[in-house]
Amino acid sequence: MPTVTTTTLETAPLTVRELARAVGAEDQWVVRLVEVEILRVDTPAEPPERWHFRSDALQRALAARRLERDFGANLDSAALILDLQSELRRLRALLRAHGVA
Amino acid sequence: MDFKDYYSALGVARDAGEDDIRKAYRKLARKYHPDVSKEADADAKMREINEARDVLSDKEKRAAYDQLADHVARGGSPDGGFRPPPPGWDEGFEFHSRPGAGPADHADFSEFFSSIFGNRGGGRGGMGGGTGGGAREAWRERGEDHHAAIEISLEDALHGAERQLSLRAQEIDDQGRPRLVERTLDVRIPAGVRPGQYIRLAGQGLPGHGGEPAGDLYLEVRIAPHRLYRVEGNDLYMTLPVTPSEAALGAHVTVPTPAGAQVDVTIPKGARNGMKLRLKERGLGGRTPGHLYLLLEIALPPADSDAARAAYDQLAKATPSFDPRRNLGA
Repeated sequence: MPTVTTTTLETAPLTVRELARAVGAEDQWVVRLVEVEILRVDTPAEPPERWHFRSDALQRALAARRLERDFGANLDSAALILDLQSELRRLRALLRAHGVA
Repeated sequence: MDFKDYYSALGVARDAGEDDIRKAYRKLARKYHPDVSKEADADAKMREINEARDVLSDKEKRAAYDQLADHVARGGSPDGGFRPPPPGWDEGFEFHSRPGAGPADHADFSEFFSSIFGNRGGGRGGMGGGTGGGAREAWRERGEDHHAAIEISLEDALHGAERQLSLRAQEIDDQGRPRLVERTLDVRIPAGVRPGQYIRLAGQGLPGHGGEPAGDLYLEVRIAPHRLYRVEGNDLYMTLPVTPSEAALGAHVTVPTPAGAQVDVTIPKGARNGMKLRLKERGLGGRTPGHLYLLLEIALPPADSDAARAAYDQLAKATPSFDPRRNLGA
């Protein structure tokens, strides 16, 4: 049985090209995600070929892709929806931490 | 395997147009989105409508599904012409493909879906695609990336583990016909993974064409509910029961940590129910290690003996001014 080499995106982050492939999109779409701040990169001043993305970026890129596909959302509104969603989850986690929810 | 009626899941007629399907989906998605829905079964409903939308909004998949629905209506088996999956094939693991129109987010789709569409790429060579043998040689393309979810125990997340994964993939045989094939992989889960992180398995996505490499497989890590600990990002929460005297007078108690160690914890004098104690960096690992939070829960000893009843009586007499209801205004 083959044993497969595994890496986490935390130890081996993705390039723009790899992230684009992982969500079934073009490289330019990922660059747009950075422009509208759906994704944040450590080195925005560097050219996109030098950007790196970890698990949280893949999760947000997948979510943005779904919003585009399922609701016809443009990326600016997807950015707002994703930010509101993270805030909602953060507040709910806070409630749970205080035994409220 | 139960046949799933995707049309009734979305509440649309069999001859519904693309627009009707889109509208029906959006309406239901707003109702059942787990972040906003008040419905008890929102998660399950959302999975169901996502799955129905995925099939009915894709012409190829919809045609294949309609064919199967006709077959079932005539009294056939919902497994159609496909080989049913072996028992337990998806135990603790879900594997589904990406649709043609978007990302691979099928980690939650049903076994019924997998039995029809398998680990299917959205583009060429999929079921009903009718790609001929000759045509397959004509293009060069890297294989598509795939996504799946893997649920592991908290202990496995902390210490790492080897897991055997059974994947079912749809492949095109020499005659250009789709067939489901099983493959099993030994996968090493690295120590310190957290929920929501992705593990990348290079070359385990769809095969490439024309000599191009295969795609990758991304596994999203999920942590199974634990008897003691609740995971919240990098942090862990545990309820720590204490007696009234431990809470009132302070105490030292021994607490198990998820990493397997036992630690001594000081309960401060006058601790209240719901008080939160933090064990620094005893949560999940990573660049910023999480903490382990202990939520105090005061457990009352039962008054089930003369001595215990006398002790409660004595406590009441010793604290005559204590009125827990003084703020009620009654």
